Amino acid sequence: MISSINPTIKAFAIFIPGILLSFTFDMFTPLVYFLFILIVTFTMSDIPFLKWLKIFSPFLLVALSFAWMTILYTNQTFSYGEVLFTLFGIEITRGSMITGISLALRSLCFVCLSILFALTTNSTKFMLSLMQQCKVPPKITYGILAGYRFLPMFREELQILRQAHRIRGFSRTKGLKGRWNQFRRYSIPLLANGIRKAERVAIAMESKGFTGDTDRTHYHEMDVSVRDWLFFTLIVGVFFITVAFSYSLGYLNIFGKQF
Amino acid sequence: MKKEQLNPLLHMDHFSFDYESLDKPLLNQLNFSLMDKETTLLIGSSGSGKSSLSLCLNGLYPEAVEGVSSGNIYYRGKNIQDYQKGELSQLIGIVFQDPESQFCMITVEDELAFTLENRKIAPSEMPERISEALSVVGMDGFQKRKIHELSGGQKQKIALAAVLLLEPELLILDEPTANLDPVSRIEFIQLIKHIQAKQKLAVFIIEHQLEDWLDVVDRLLVLGKQGKIIADGSVTSIFSDHHSLLKKEGVFLPRQYSNAEDSYPTYAESPPRIKQDVLITIKQMGFHRKKHTILQDINLEIHRGEFIAIVGENGAGKSTLLQLMARLLTPQKGTIIFHDKLMDQWEEKELRKRIGYVFQNPEHQFITDTVYDELTFGMKLNGWTTAESDTAATALLKQFHLEKHKYSNPFSLSGGQKRRLSVATMLDETPDILFFDEPTFGQDAKTTDELMYMIEALRKNGTAIVFVTHDMDIVDTVDRAIVLYQQHIHYNGEPESLWKQADLLEKTRLRLPYRIRVLHKEGVSLDLVH
Repeated sequence: MISSINPTIKAFAIFIPGILLSFTFDMFTPLVYFLFILIVTFTMSDIPFLKWLKIFSPFLLVALSFAWMTILYTNQTFSYGEVLFTLFGIEITRGSMITGISLALRSLCFVCLSILFALTTNSTKFMLSLMQQCKVPPKITYGILAGYRFLPMFREELQILRQAHRIRGFSRTKGLKGRWNQFRRYSIPLLANGIRKAERVAIAMESKGFTGDTDRTHYHEMDVSVRDWLFFTLIVGVFFITVAFSYSLGYLNIFGKQF
Repeated sequence: MKKEQLNPLLHMDHFSFDYESLDKPLLNQLNFSLMDKETTLLIGSSGSGKSSLSLCLNGLYPEAVEGVSSGNIYYRGKNIQDYQKGELSQLIGIVFQDPESQFCMITVEDELAFTLENRKIAPSEMPERISEALSVVGMDGFQKRKIHELSGGQKQKIALAAVLLLEPELLILDEPTANLDPVSRIEFIQLIKHIQAKQKLAVFIIEHQLEDWLDVVDRLLVLGKQGKIIADGSVTSIFSDHHSLLKKEGVFLPRQYSNAEDSYPTYAESPPRIKQDVLITIKQMGFHRKKHTILQDINLEIHRGEFIAIVGENGAGKSTLLQLMARLLTPQKGTIIFHDKLMDQWEEKELRKRIGYVFQNPEHQFITDTVYDELTFGMKLNGWTTAESDTAATALLKQFHLEKHKYSNPFSLSGGQKRRLSVATMLDETPDILFFDEPTFGQDAKTTDELMYMIEALRKNGTAIVFVTHDMDIVDTVDRAIVLYQQHIHYNGEPESLWKQADLLEKTRLRLPYRIRVLHKEGVSLDLVH
């Protein structure tokens, strides 16, 4: 299962194809890879389909609008090929069509990879792994972990502030200027309280003997096993196989250059 | 207490500290020692620098806040500045006041492991040590639980367990029970007593409400307003010899050492309740957040000029009930009627004139940049002329002793002043009802007294007062106590008859007020005589 893969290795396994994918401008490569990630998502993790769909569907809309904009306003380099049809006086060529659809597929690939990572990774373990495998200083990783605990606190605080201001009759002020003032008035006490709490947590951490020293023992020993490398090889390997396959079929297009 | 030879553990030598400059330092030329295996209690009014002192002791201050200090602190005869970074914090453990902001990990187990990792303990030893520390505080089996899902009392026990894993020689407790319900508070104090007896730690406690600590404590220190130690000695000697001095400093006196006139104002002559004059009627009300039911089948009436206390353990839904009555939340079931009109049919502007609400943290209510603007804010919204609001604001400034701070920023006031201002802002029009969410939390005796007098004055004008509180001595003075337990109102009536229901008190994690506890104690000793 993907959730037990070492988080750092997982991050790299997802990051590398993500970056490389952004250079492929044909439709075939991202499409095949997209299908592959879907298969990985639903066979190798226990993400419930509905939950996945809930997160994924808004991005589908975003991807479609990306594609639409690109099709309409394609860069000169990519608007090759014959004119397919004309829309509001804009000529849509085969090249721009391909570039647009490719962009949509690429964004969907990113989304899918990100969801796969986010839903199978425990944030604490990710930070611990970054500290142990990538030698990220404990000051940063524990800082992020402590900050992570702050998010729900912020939401609560904002709600209380809203109520308190409502009691004072604040919702009675109207208009854009009123809104702006309201935002200003929320942000100052929120920040002030945030800083105060952060200071308290920092002091509590230090008083438990935390110095930021990298020489420390680890309760959760995050190791890298053969399984992790196998996962890495699978995700990155399939990407290169896809590229090779699309090259052999003559689809591969990198930065508008056909191979 | 036993008089064996005590060795000084920590010694302060002409130590001064301030956040900015040493002209008028917060802590001024302190000279005292903490002894090995001794339990010392530090008291002082709010804002006297007690918490700052505790952080100076383990060497985190002044560095952590870029403050300034002079003089020296010695730990076992060695200047604390000569200790390695992190070395001293392992010898001196601190449990802080706020249960929300002293953890950095998500689960109990990881939080405790954090301490052990800092000490470079081998991972193989950790599970055993963690479970040991948890069983000391009575929470073994909570390893995998998420910290934010625990109650306040449980969180403080986890904080204590984490600190015990340091195996400290000195344990500092910085108002560790301030946020806890009465029973959790007693449990925590018992726990400390138990640990002290077993492990022979030196314990240094900072507290406002010292009554319950007295039988744990060997020695008492009093920090005065000028940042000096004004009394140092055994509990009995300090309370009998320095009685008037302590009172002047605004320190809570334990009841057994206080005179009759020191106690809270009682409302013997409170206006008789007029049954017909119903302000709020709640019928069959229910409220839930997502799938979590918070309140159900709530039926309640509040009358003009009544003084009501809502009590119950942490998380019983006390604040939620208050927010529902003030229309800050809307119930999913049932109705609330305010002045013969459904609550949701009131126009916001009208409603806010008639209902006041004072939040636990006064800072949340401040909107403007000066105290004066803060007071006139509501008046302006209500369309008062400048002259009218000026007269009213001046009267309020006087009534609440804030004249000197007319142009100060509300955030720069002291704790007590902030509390007074937050009440004053609610009084531009005389409200029919005023809600208070734990108004005495973290306040010293003087501020609490001031608040109680203020409330007395308000009630004379016919304003109904509703308190959410953990302070049973305040509950003892109200007209009606409402006990929330497991989403329902479990008791609704005079406090006097509540004190007689021992089962109910135990079940709902409440305790008797001091007045009754003393009676019981006397009763017990009488029985023993016979």
